[in-house]
Amino acid sequence: MRRLKTLLTLCLAPLILGHSCLLIAQNSPNVVLILADDLGFSDLASYGSEIHTPSITALAEQGVSFTNYHTGANCAPSRAMLLTGVDSHRAGVPNIPEMIPPAQATYSHYAGTLSHNVVTVATLLQDAGYHTYLAGKWHLGQTADKLPSRRGFERTLALADSGADNWEQKPYIPIYKNANWYADGEEYQLPDNFYSSRFLVDKTIEFIDSNKDDGQPFFAYVPFQAVHIPVQAPQKFIDRYMGVYDQGWNALRQQRLVRAIALGVVPADTMIVQMASTADWEALSPKRQAYEAKRMAVYGAMVEAMDHHIGRLVEYLKAIGEYDNTVFIFTSDNGAEAMGLPRQNSWRNTLILAAQDYNADYETLGLKGSFNTINPGFASAAASPLAYYKFYVGEGGLRVPMIIAGGPVAIKNQFSNASAYVTDITPTILSLAEVEHPHGLKRGRFGGRKVEPMIGRSLAPLIEGRVESVHGTDNAVGFELAGHGALFMGDFKIVFNRGTQGDSQWHLFNIQVDPGETRDLSAENPAQLQLMLNRYQQYIDDNNILPVPAGYRHETQVIFNALQHTYRDNILIIILLFLLMLPFAIVYKSKHHKGP
Amino acid sequence: MNKCLKIVVALMAVIFASIGLRWLVAPEGIAAEFGMTLMEGLGLSSQIGDLGAFFLSLAVFVLLALATGRRTWYYPPIILLALTAIMRTMAWMFHGASLAVDMIAVEVITCVILYVGSIRLAEED
Repeated sequence: MRRLKTLLTLCLAPLILGHSCLLIAQNSPNVVLILADDLGFSDLASYGSEIHTPSITALAEQGVSFTNYHTGANCAPSRAMLLTGVDSHRAGVPNIPEMIPPAQATYSHYAGTLSHNVVTVATLLQDAGYHTYLAGKWHLGQTADKLPSRRGFERTLALADSGADNWEQKPYIPIYKNANWYADGEEYQLPDNFYSSRFLVDKTIEFIDSNKDDGQPFFAYVPFQAVHIPVQAPQKFIDRYMGVYDQGWNALRQQRLVRAIALGVVPADTMIVQMASTADWEALSPKRQAYEAKRMAVYGAMVEAMDHHIGRLVEYLKAIGEYDNTVFIFTSDNGAEAMGLPRQNSWRNTLILAAQDYNADYETLGLKGSFNTINPGFASAAASPLAYYKFYVGEGGLRVPMIIAGGPVAIKNQFSNASAYVTDITPTILSLAEVEHPHGLKRGRFGGRKVEPMIGRSLAPLIEGRVESVHGTDNAVGFELAGHGALFMGDFKIVFNRGTQGDSQWHLFNIQVDPGETRDLSAENPAQLQLMLNRYQQYIDDNNILPVPAGYRHETQVIFNALQHTYRDNILIIILLFLLMLPFAIVYKSKHHKGP
Repeated sequence: MNKCLKIVVALMAVIFASIGLRWLVAPEGIAAEFGMTLMEGLGLSSQIGDLGAFFLSLAVFVLLALATGRRTWYYPPIILLALTAIMRTMAWMFHGASLAVDMIAVEVITCVILYVGSIRLAEED
């Protein structure tokens, strides 16, 4: 009898456990994680922008808008941290593979793709009974075992590359032979009527709709291509921004500062610096000014188009009755992008673009076949009132908008200036879904292997109104990208920017009162600087962060890697060809050599 | 005249060698140029092994012919290319393959050049 009981228990245990898992999931909220690409700190209307973003504003009114949220300084490291809660260096993605120098690329934790020693939030939610969907840019690995379909996502439509054209299946830089899209792990051909933001929301709705009646909650990750290069948008949206930017980038940067202060996004006495990459607007010819203003108009249009399609997703969730049980998280992977050439339509760039079947003509800017970016001056305005931008660890590169909103969020329509980091997002989602991370659950093992612990903290107590902040004043959070370094501790930040825009010096700022990083406190508070430098060194040691080679510049490394990637085979063939021909040439020479 | 012919024949050897090396180094691109998709497993082995060897052999024979000046070395590439053209035609006639006029023309012209080379550039064995 006892044996029979044991046998019955063993047989029924999986069913009982499975059922309880299902019950947990059924009582949990849906989660929609929306990630914009390269969206600047003040690019949303609710953060001080002139760009119309009514859908995101409506979401912000239903939750908390974070004004002191920090992410990584570029794409893939941020995405790795966002989806795992683990530091990018421990997750195998210290930088995008396109920028990693050969000296670092030989190390396994510098592969630039998401390692298997981390577990994604999607895997954990899927195990807890969630449907998990992804429609958008992945950029964390292209091999079969690293595509999102193998990293916890049940249904996927994923772009594996760092970016791609928004109107057709076409690579945006010559490092890629194709724009590599995958559907559920298989290569995918985009439809003819493709426009990225519309299509990604259509797919998200399709995924949700396919399981909407089974009572299970869902996690939908929507990493938009907007507003990554190439900056492209439908004409009807572009038309709304023609003339809006005619006063130039300095005026825009100032206007956004004033609006951000008025909204309470930044302190009233916030100062701004002028980046060296910002050219003199008044010195430009009227024709150049018109061209630059249109480049930015397309950018504004692309942001608004994204907002419009987010609105469609929200309306769909309302229509199926899921809106009230859905938590929305909206943020950006890093700050505004300033890699756009100051002279986008120069004859030399026009030739380069023509080789890729692109043009930069004024009339068709942003439309199909057009390659558009924004001028570094406008990138600085997109990051207003912050210094620096993407690829740098100044506030403009790291501080971006972040909104947590929706029916299950207790606090409505509030700003929070509490410290929050990209590694906090996964713990927050898990907390809201009441799913435990395996590090706590199974002593750091998952799927038979050891996994990295999360370093982030759940923001749930903050959005439930129970605490003012989840990070104490002694909690140090470090970031490193390609030799740039930053460490946050309480209200303070130390920052080291190298490269063409940086001075390769450590600076200390109080970013609560001086988000523009205008007043260096190093000299007046050397003890704080030293304390934080020590903590940064500890961060470097703990995460096995490698130094960059002497003279490393991320801009030139991208070009070098692209050339190497593109021409490596040809160079090898030429060398082999030479070696093959050499003996025959020697024989020929000796045979035809006329002696004295 | 003979100097020009020698340059043309040498150029052909370089082209054969580079095609053979492309099968070795970057087979995906060259496969597409031959109207093929890159296979897997045994198929991939045959594609890279047979086709790489074919073109590298052509290159080596032509280079040997030029380096030694011996007529005998011209005959293997002529035979190989002539048979390729014939086999392509038969593939079209009996197996429904496309009639690869461009490629057959290139193969025939190359054969003719090599034959002329064997007459004008080589010594009697």
